[in-house]
Amino acid sequence: MAAEQVSTRLTRRGRWPIFIGLCVVAATIIYPLFFVTLTSLRPNADYLQDPFGLPAIWTLDNYTTLSRVYGVGDAFVRSLAVTGVTVSIVLLLAIFAGYGLARYPVPGRRVITSVFVSVMLIPGPVLIIPIYLMLSRMDLVATYPGLILVYVATGLPFSVFFLTLSFRGVPVEVIEAARIDGAGFFRTLGSIVVPMGLSGLATLAVLQFLGVWNELIFAIILIPDQADRLLTPTLANIGERFVTDQPLVSAGLAITASVPLLLLAVASRYIMQGLQVGVSR
Amino acid sequence: MTAPTTRRAPAPAPAAAGARGAARLSVASRRQRLIGLAAVLPALVMVVGFMAFPVAYALYISFTKTNGLTFAWVGLANYTALLSDPVVHQVFGNNLKFLVSVPLVIFSALIVSVLLFERVRGWRLFRVVFFLPNVLSVAVIGLMFRNAFGYYGGVNQALGLLGVEPVQFFTDGTLAISVIVLALVWSGFGYQSLLLLAGLTSIDPAVFEAAALDGAGWWKRLWHITIPNIRRVLGFVFIINVLYTFTSLFGFVYVMTAGGPGFDTTTIDYLVYLRAFSSTNLGSGAALAVVLFLFIGVLTLVQNRVFRLQEED
Repeated sequence: MAAEQVSTRLTRRGRWPIFIGLCVVAATIIYPLFFVTLTSLRPNADYLQDPFGLPAIWTLDNYTTLSRVYGVGDAFVRSLAVTGVTVSIVLLLAIFAGYGLARYPVPGRRVITSVFVSVMLIPGPVLIIPIYLMLSRMDLVATYPGLILVYVATGLPFSVFFLTLSFRGVPVEVIEAARIDGAGFFRTLGSIVVPMGLSGLATLAVLQFLGVWNELIFAIILIPDQADRLLTPTLANIGERFVTDQPLVSAGLAITASVPLLLLAVASRYIMQGLQVGVSR
Repeated sequence: MTAPTTRRAPAPAPAAAGARGAARLSVASRRQRLIGLAAVLPALVMVVGFMAFPVAYALYISFTKTNGLTFAWVGLANYTALLSDPVVHQVFGNNLKFLVSVPLVIFSALIVSVLLFERVRGWRLFRVVFFLPNVLSVAVIGLMFRNAFGYYGGVNQALGLLGVEPVQFFTDGTLAISVIVLALVWSGFGYQSLLLLAGLTSIDPAVFEAAALDGAGWWKRLWHITIPNIRRVLGFVFIINVLYTFTSLFGFVYVMTAGGPGFDTTTIDYLVYLRAFSSTNLGSGAALAVVLFLFIGVLTLVQNRVFRLQEED
């Protein structure tokens, strides 16, 4: 396209330095991750002997220790469950709200939209004290529903904003036609809006999943008991306690990073689409 | 399935003539309004209840002395205490030090985006690779850097190979901040280079062609055309970086230094956490959070104003 026209002005020889430059930058990202993965697969003594070489002994002991002794396996399952439930609820509520705002004459729409947009600017630190007190009054501290409630509330503003934009892309004529045929809110939503907005929904689901999976502050303060914690705070704690055992901590890092990296590998198309919204905002 | 319905669509629309038609229409439209409202309400209630209300609640807490159970109104006492608190001064200064990361991130992102813009072979894959740190938790990135710069970490092992004594990166405030800044740059430049790339792509290619016809070389085009044309995106990236330094360092500080040594690497958001969960007066933490909120608000307004002005000239 247009951009290609411009770039063709660089001669073939002129492009090599650029390619090499990009490779160097990419290496600064890939190598640390590679190093962590490799380190996690060797015993500590072997690591200390020759940290940069290939392991002389390959082992999965670090992983089994983390799972058996430090409950990382359970934390992984808990994280998966909390994240899954949160993302489902966020998507459901945001689909309703997004469709309403995009295609229904909601009274006070402008005010409602500006509420969703302006709460996005609230910095996280402002919320931790009031939310903790509110939840403790509701007896929801140290419970997963309490944590999910907070994640849903903090995930909704962006989600509603995102889906409102993305549902506006669904042609109004198609929806109108279905309405005239007698299809109501749920029918038009289920048979037209959701199927046509599927790629936007996938993008949003991935972004929300990453956000919840990686969250740290609320996961620490709302689940005070170490034994009940989700994966990310569990990892933070392990990192704190075992400074001298690099392979063990590396295994924890690899476990925590595995799900986001897998998601990026599978859904990079959707994640990159989500970026565009960030820019247009 | 949709084809027949679209064909039938225009027919009934003008049928709403006459008084009865109008009445039916208004009933229908009221129904539509109610349905729309009902659809938006659950999300709105959640957001107002657990985001907007907590801000108001934080404001109230900041005017009280409280342990979370009993609230005693103290007016502005928490705020005046903040003003004379040496720890708060130091922590605010720390946040200013972290601002060093802003030009570093933007500069790296700019270089990478210009390289990506040339669309060399495999640029799509590079894009995904550069985005990689963004899907990782701050806790993961923080620990990776803490590991790498720890006493037994990769950096010290490499220094050892060169015959240099191991460095204790986290017992010295300045060194510790440098490591966190490095982590910030590592984790942030990729995403921001993609933002800048989007800005670059939107430049009218005719401008480049004209410049090329005039004999402007690659570097000249970069400095005189490319950069001035993405001022708006640069401004946006600048703003999100500054906001990030003031509100989102908690994760890094928590896993890398726990604010130490002393308060040397404590940031405002980490101090809010410390005050909230290790002191007897939550009001003090809330006051700090409110000040941070106001500061961020003013900062956003000022920056918006500045960059809008630039855009108009």
